[in-house]
Amino acid sequence: MTQLDSKHENLNSGLSGRMETGITGLDEILHGGLVPQRAYLLHGNPGSGKTILGLHFLTAGVAKGERALFLTMGETEDQIRKNAASIGFDLDGVDFLDLAPSPDFFSQVQSYDIFSPADVEREPTTERITAQVEELKPVRVFIDAMTHFRYLSSDDLQFRRQTHSFLRFLVDSGATVVFTSEDSLAQPDDDLQYMSDGIIRLEHDHETRSVCIIKFRGSDFMSGEHSMRLSDHGMEVFPRLLPASEVMQTFTTDILPSGLPELDELLHGGLERSTITIISGPTGVGKTTLGLQFMKEAAERGERSVIYSFEERVDLLMSRSQNINIPIASMAKDGNLSVVQVEPLYYTPDEFARMVRKDVEEKGAAIIMIDSLSGYKLSVRGEDLVLHLHSLSKYLQSMGVAVILINEIEDIMGQFRATEISVSYIADTIIFLRYLELRGELRRAIGVLKKRFSDFQKTLREFEITQSGIKVGKPLSDLRGILSGTPHWQETDKN
Amino acid sequence: MGSHSCILTIDRNQRNLELLAQFLGKEGYETVSVSALESLEQILEHPENIGIALIDISGFDRNIWAYCEKLTELGVPLLVISPQKLINIRQESISHGAHGVLFKPLVTRELTTIIRTLMGDVSHE
Repeated sequence: MTQLDSKHENLNSGLSGRMETGITGLDEILHGGLVPQRAYLLHGNPGSGKTILGLHFLTAGVAKGERALFLTMGETEDQIRKNAASIGFDLDGVDFLDLAPSPDFFSQVQSYDIFSPADVEREPTTERITAQVEELKPVRVFIDAMTHFRYLSSDDLQFRRQTHSFLRFLVDSGATVVFTSEDSLAQPDDDLQYMSDGIIRLEHDHETRSVCIIKFRGSDFMSGEHSMRLSDHGMEVFPRLLPASEVMQTFTTDILPSGLPELDELLHGGLERSTITIISGPTGVGKTTLGLQFMKEAAERGERSVIYSFEERVDLLMSRSQNINIPIASMAKDGNLSVVQVEPLYYTPDEFARMVRKDVEEKGAAIIMIDSLSGYKLSVRGEDLVLHLHSLSKYLQSMGVAVILINEIEDIMGQFRATEISVSYIADTIIFLRYLELRGELRRAIGVLKKRFSDFQKTLREFEITQSGIKVGKPLSDLRGILSGTPHWQETDKN
Repeated sequence: MGSHSCILTIDRNQRNLELLAQFLGKEGYETVSVSALESLEQILEHPENIGIALIDISGFDRNIWAYCEKLTELGVPLLVISPQKLINIRQESISHGAHGVLFKPLVTRELTTIIRTLMGDVSHE
């Protein structure tokens, strides 16, 4: 069992009697699952995944030997079974009560207008449901969609009374009920929202899907919107990371040296575990390479690192690193490094966070490098970058992981800025790399701007990337105006 | 209920006829159901047992009014059932002998009261 699974298992056992929804991420948001023998409303527009969630709920019950009933009032049983099979659901153990209109409903034989549907169909429908529930005694009932009962009621008051009574009947019979609604401006489902013990709202737009718990009687839950994905395997939910996670480890500031004496001197030993470091600098200056240096040293100690590369292709990164004596291919082969190519337009921040959690909780990553913040920003898609980055970084910090965030600044030289996206406050350490022009040559310099947990050298040093690796020079004590990009020697001033 | 205990129901829609028969049966009335004017013609040759007639005019042409008048001539009280609340339908129905006009969907309680009243009137004749 993985650590994430075990956490999920612990949540369930810790909150005994919780009922799994069949979706791990959703159960996490619900702090272990649904409270049994209650009625929950799935609220969402067409195509938001309500029926798929219902299929997870029912099949999770069947897998545990529970009786599960699908009460359909829209799609026919046959359609539902076919659609479910196409996304890998086996509904063999699920009982159906198909109240959907038959194909000949619109023929003269079936349609009528002399009495209202409430007068004609309520009684036989109620009798069928009652008989089925009493016979099967289901533990899980999924009703798709409850709003169809509205047409069997003469007015809103009757609908409220009948629905309330119906839900009580199911719950008193021992069932946990999940029901959907078809909410519209003309017929809002406010009454169902009041009647339910919990509301799970599913939302989607052109690019993203999310799930949000609006109400959950008798239990705490993770508030806010959490990313959700519908795929050929059904629904996956990615809970938003919260820094105050129950999985918090003991805070430690053990030193992680770079293995380069001059660099470690600059940092007074190296980076600390459980801290967040931003390596900032213009394009091509060596930010990724510098981060890799810490990983190379960690690999030699047998510690595992992960690079999430949002921009550079893995094969190019491997080839480039090999040429500068950072053997990431062999580090990966030995299991001390994992290079993950991340397409920012595919993953949401919550999905990415889930991926990172797996690497940390299941594979014990000690150093995580996000390369770069610009790529990560793309995956945020207009949401609050700082909020997501704060959550992820603080979570990693709480897990004892050393986090390296690669930040590219636009200006090659000139006006000095640590970062351009207002994330400096997250960092415990800020290392900056600069280009500088010296005697007509383009050179590089490295310096430390901030280090929360130890002192550091305030002088800058020359920084080079050679075939044998990174070289950090002596302190550039006699140079002035380095941060401007066009420094000059102090001796020159005297002349 | 006397000898005129049967209710004649006329409707193009077979399902409507079934539902009316079910409902009226629960209320204790026998029904004779007709969906075509040809069949109505035959039934009107022996109208003795008919207490009242319920005519859903949906789907019929103007010839239906002639049958309304015929029923009135035979002394059979009739109720017209209309799909829409239109003043001219009400006026035309009354002018062709209808005792009243009901609009769909029928309110069951209202229908029961009206039928009981009309059947009571008939049985007291």
